[in-house]
Amino acid sequence: MRTTNYAPAMCARAWLGAVLATGLGLTPAARAAEDDKARIAELEQKLDESLKMIRELSHKVDALEAREAQRTGAAAAPAAAAAAAAVPAGAAPVTPATAPGSAAIAGPAAPADTAARVTQLEETVSQMAANAPQHPEDRGLAMHGFADVGAGTHNAQFPQYQGADIAELDFFLTPQLGAHTRALFELNFEVGANGDVGVDLERAQIGYQFSDALTVWLGRFHTPYGYYNTAFHHGQWIAISLRRPRFIEFEDHGGTMPAHTVGLWLTGSQRLGDQKLTYDAWIGNSQRITGGTLDMNNAGVPRGSVMFGGNVGLLMSGALDGLKVGVDAFQTRIENQDVAPPYFTQVQSYGTYAVYDTDRWEDIAELHFFRNTDLTGHTGQHDSHAGFVQLGYRAGRFTPYARYEKGSFDQSDPYFAAQTDGNSYDREALGLRFDIDLSSALKMELAQTRFTDRYVTSYGEALLQYAIRF
Amino acid sequence: MQTNNNRLFDRGLLRHLTFARSAAIVAAMLLATLALGVPAPVCAAATRFAELPAAWVDDRGQPFDLRALYGRTVVLSMAYATCHRVCPLTIDHLRRLQSEFDQRGVQAEFLVIGYDPEADDVAAWRQYRRTRQLLRSNWHFLVGTRADVERVARQLGFEFWKMDQHVIHDGRIVRFDERGVLVASDAVSGL
Repeated sequence: MRTTNYAPAMCARAWLGAVLATGLGLTPAARAAEDDKARIAELEQKLDESLKMIRELSHKVDALEAREAQRTGAAAAPAAAAAAAAVPAGAAPVTPATAPGSAAIAGPAAPADTAARVTQLEETVSQMAANAPQHPEDRGLAMHGFADVGAGTHNAQFPQYQGADIAELDFFLTPQLGAHTRALFELNFEVGANGDVGVDLERAQIGYQFSDALTVWLGRFHTPYGYYNTAFHHGQWIAISLRRPRFIEFEDHGGTMPAHTVGLWLTGSQRLGDQKLTYDAWIGNSQRITGGTLDMNNAGVPRGSVMFGGNVGLLMSGALDGLKVGVDAFQTRIENQDVAPPYFTQVQSYGTYAVYDTDRWEDIAELHFFRNTDLTGHTGQHDSHAGFVQLGYRAGRFTPYARYEKGSFDQSDPYFAAQTDGNSYDREALGLRFDIDLSSALKMELAQTRFTDRYVTSYGEALLQYAIRF
Repeated sequence: MQTNNNRLFDRGLLRHLTFARSAAIVAAMLLATLALGVPAPVCAAATRFAELPAAWVDDRGQPFDLRALYGRTVVLSMAYATCHRVCPLTIDHLRRLQSEFDQRGVQAEFLVIGYDPEADDVAAWRQYRRTRQLLRSNWHFLVGTRADVERVARQLGFEFWKMDQHVIHDGRIVRFDERGVLVASDAVSGL
């Protein structure tokens, strides 16, 4: 099994990440939001007191006016009649007492000017309350996340371990930056192959949304091939199943496809009648292989090679509501830095997928074909393929699921041969998700995995996972 | 020998430091979780229906002015069309409320405001209603601007955040009486 050596730099990153995560949760911004809440509450209390006082004063004025009217008696009657005659029919001023929705506030006998002032004051405070920050999100900082822990006869990601494990703590920062600017940062604390906790900035993307039809992202994002890689992420709570299919695991968990890309991503959707077309197009740094693992070249590429690809999907409607089908393709040039001089492979992938996602069913199928060209050793082209089918059925708290996956990778292909987990395999899994409440779930899975070429072996697993979101 | 002792000492110290590092990381994670995980009290900033943004579009693509509902009982919730975990529970809860109201002879308007106007447009809600047989004329599925959706959510205490194509949220239903006063606010635990 592959073991990744977490260098001291990783420990320093872990420290920095931990301090950042802790600091972000306790920043003055959060306290400022509390201060604002208190200020609004105080203002509202003052308004309520003012309204009460105005009502009392209004009643007193009414009483005084009534007494005065009684005292002046018939002398005032002609003047009142003249004033009433001056108001055109149907032009009675609308007071809060007659306006629906405001009846609870204004007293029925409140004079028009008092009522207008009350209404104005009320609107002002309402607007202040609506516009004033209530939560840290409103101050531009939104932080949420996912976490999961587990136990099993093997570790779900690193089968060389067994027993209990902490899997990951995944923080999401989604600051609100304005009407069109978007940002997403995902900071993930996770256990690596050597059992240490490391930290990764899994996603760091800033984008501009021109319309529903076009958002442009720049940064590190999930490579939008197939369906699973962008629909699900590091937090396992969101997925029905306990783990991702093995070949589309994240790179540091043994995935054999480039799950992350650093570059530019255009995405959007367009209605076609009742159906909806979705699209993605991206270009970014090509990946490399180092330590037997794919790496997305966060800092850039030394030789300027790129990865590019596209994905088109169609979301059906009517009798096929919930069904999405699509195709994708990408090309990249992978540099294997584990050998000297470096070895280059051109990777071409073509995929297709179908998803049936309804209130009852979550069924996903993906198939990817690879046609890779050896650019250094000139061994020609190598064909491989991988795919999975997953069926899930939601029945209240319980969601049973079944998955079959298979990766058939040509071991003479330098791209797969250079990866620690680039061997062919197949796996069957039966699982059950149990939703304890709306933010936590318990998952159990029984699986059988067979390795079929580089080394021939198989193992069974009984896995348990407790996943939450916050 | 001195060097060897030092090395041994260093190894022991390193092991302790590694443990201390791991412990510190876990402690930091716990602290962060505690700091973030304590649920903020969900409260409605708006207690009157008239304070909500008025201009929406319904699932027929027609402008829908909330002021047209002044003087009526209004049951309001928020949802997104591709939610298959929380929103079906909310919709079931709304159906049950409708049945109770029918039995008691209470007239009410049911509003469902979409969390995600970018994904849940008029056609999506129209399809949603058709698929789930939510065809009563007093039910309205509304699409608004992102700003208005966020404002209503903030006013009524609907907490949500968007992540990729998912909207992470809880279930919640509020009710305004005929005077437009917020009289009930329930979390939909559902499970």
